[in-house]
Amino acid sequence: MVETDLVDVPLKTIDLGTILSVILIILLAYLLTRVIAYLLTWLAERAGGRRITVKMVLPLLKFTIYGIATYFILASILQLSSTQLVAFSGLLGAALGFGLKDLFADIIGGLIISVEKPYQIGDKVSIGGYYGEVTDIGIRATRLITPDDNLVSAPNYLIFTQAVASASSGTPEMMVVIDLFVDPDSDAVTGLEILKEAVVTSRYVYISKKRPYTVLLEDFPYYRRLRAKAYVHDLRHEFEFKSEVTRRTWREFTKQGIQAPRAPIMGEQHTG
Amino acid sequence: MGEEEQQMPAGIIGFQNELASIRAALAEFESGEKSDVAIIAEPFAGRTTLLYAIEQITTRKTVKLSFSALITDRDEISLPPGAGEIVLCDNCHFLYQRAIGGFKHLDEFLTAVAASEHLVITTWNVYSWRYLEEVRAIDKFFPLTITLPQFSAAELKELILAGYAENELEFEDDSRPEEKRIITRHPVSFTVRNKTLAIPFFSIDFARIKVLFSRKEETRKAEDIIFEKINRIANGNPGVAKLLWAKSMQYPTIKPSFVKECALKAELDYHESFLLSLILAMEALTKPELHEISDEPEVETMLHRLLHQRLIVEERGFYKLNPEALSCVVSALKKMGVIW
Repeated sequence: MVETDLVDVPLKTIDLGTILSVILIILLAYLLTRVIAYLLTWLAERAGGRRITVKMVLPLLKFTIYGIATYFILASILQLSSTQLVAFSGLLGAALGFGLKDLFADIIGGLIISVEKPYQIGDKVSIGGYYGEVTDIGIRATRLITPDDNLVSAPNYLIFTQAVASASSGTPEMMVVIDLFVDPDSDAVTGLEILKEAVVTSRYVYISKKRPYTVLLEDFPYYRRLRAKAYVHDLRHEFEFKSEVTRRTWREFTKQGIQAPRAPIMGEQHTG
Repeated sequence: MGEEEQQMPAGIIGFQNELASIRAALAEFESGEKSDVAIIAEPFAGRTTLLYAIEQITTRKTVKLSFSALITDRDEISLPPGAGEIVLCDNCHFLYQRAIGGFKHLDEFLTAVAASEHLVITTWNVYSWRYLEEVRAIDKFFPLTITLPQFSAAELKELILAGYAENELEFEDDSRPEEKRIITRHPVSFTVRNKTLAIPFFSIDFARIKVLFSRKEETRKAEDIIFEKINRIANGNPGVAKLLWAKSMQYPTIKPSFVKECALKAELDYHESFLLSLILAMEALTKPELHEISDEPEVETMLHRLLHQRLIVEERGFYKLNPEALSCVVSALKKMGVIW
């Protein structure tokens, strides 16, 4: 009798109906998240400047839907008393400790990303050595599209172990840094003025009191660096902006006799 | 009738507050203090009309510089020598080009304004002004900036009816009962994967609620309904409203059903948006100018698309905004982020 009590599993009767309802719940949760993701993306693309604000609701909705689905599945197959709940928690803990700890860390990481928002869907971020636009924050992984159109799935637990850099942090605007190197004998002041005008007349630039632009000049042993920092209205124009400003500036440099350095540029300079 | 209203120049309707501010600036100038003025407004909103009114009220000698195309010669912008005159400069947005080296004439003009002992009153396209405010801090040169307000339906009625004799026109109210409802049902259509779907949607007529609460229902005449409709479609822009009036009138009769809602829709890619934003901000540009400023190799194709959508018009080689499309163009360009 004692043995029978100890092995009494807190399961409801699992019949074909229960199995079907579990499958149905999973299917419904999946379909619902897909439909909501599609609708929100459609809406976000028409929301102009509020694109990212609309999209940031998506991960939270996903977690809510999957959380509710998990609750219904557990409620349909388990009937736990307080003693059994402790026993079940112990079992769950052991399972997590042995094999599912990474998955569990990913899920918790995903929840933290949704609540704390170190980055959001639509942001340009660097995670795990990859840089790109966040297209989805899933239960297990964050998906990025790199500038080379590679789809990268970065596990959500990375936010516990690595620094994550977000270039836009929830806004569609993003600062872009453009570096041009000129010969030290060229007229750098004229060069700086040309670069400034190329930036402010660009079709992609966005300037406001909160989003100012700046142009800087710095001397190096064999060249001078002209650096422009300005915002694009939509972070998806980051590379077009760089390319357009560089192309127009160099065209004007050529007219004004400003030349590229004769010595090769040694590495990237991160001096602000 | 108030003193200020009595002093309104002949033929000028609206702009009372703006004229009062300008009178104050003129009075200050008389007492030796100079506050240069910038009048800012959307296209067709009455900048030139206000400048004409200022010309009428000033007692000092006035000099007028009116720009109608991009400035290419610095002689065109030279202020008169001496002191104490009123210099009126219309359409100052033609002083710059959104291109490398395109601010030369503007910078010279602003330096001349700052150094001048005349009172300089300028008018600017609002989208050019906002751009120049951010990239050139232009507002620092003009201590008094006046943004022209939207017209009310009553002002619009006064403006339009000023051109007709009393009882010359026949106003008829043929608005259908559903037009008088507070909540109206209408389908909203949108395109998903090249398929147009229509979903029933409800809209609330807040103006009608306001009328109901103010107990003016009985006094709402056909002409009021017509001018309210025109003003709503024109978004309070008198130039656009006058055009809409001219298109709707079947002399001497006008009915609400004659006033058609704007059916234009801007479907633009980013490059077309930028080209259109240049036309909106500069108001009149030729094809070579657009080519030079936009740095686009396919200006011709883009202009064709914009003309086809009736967002712009071509007049004697100049590409200008279609007044009817003003509201939808501004809304589309703001969404794209090309105007600020």
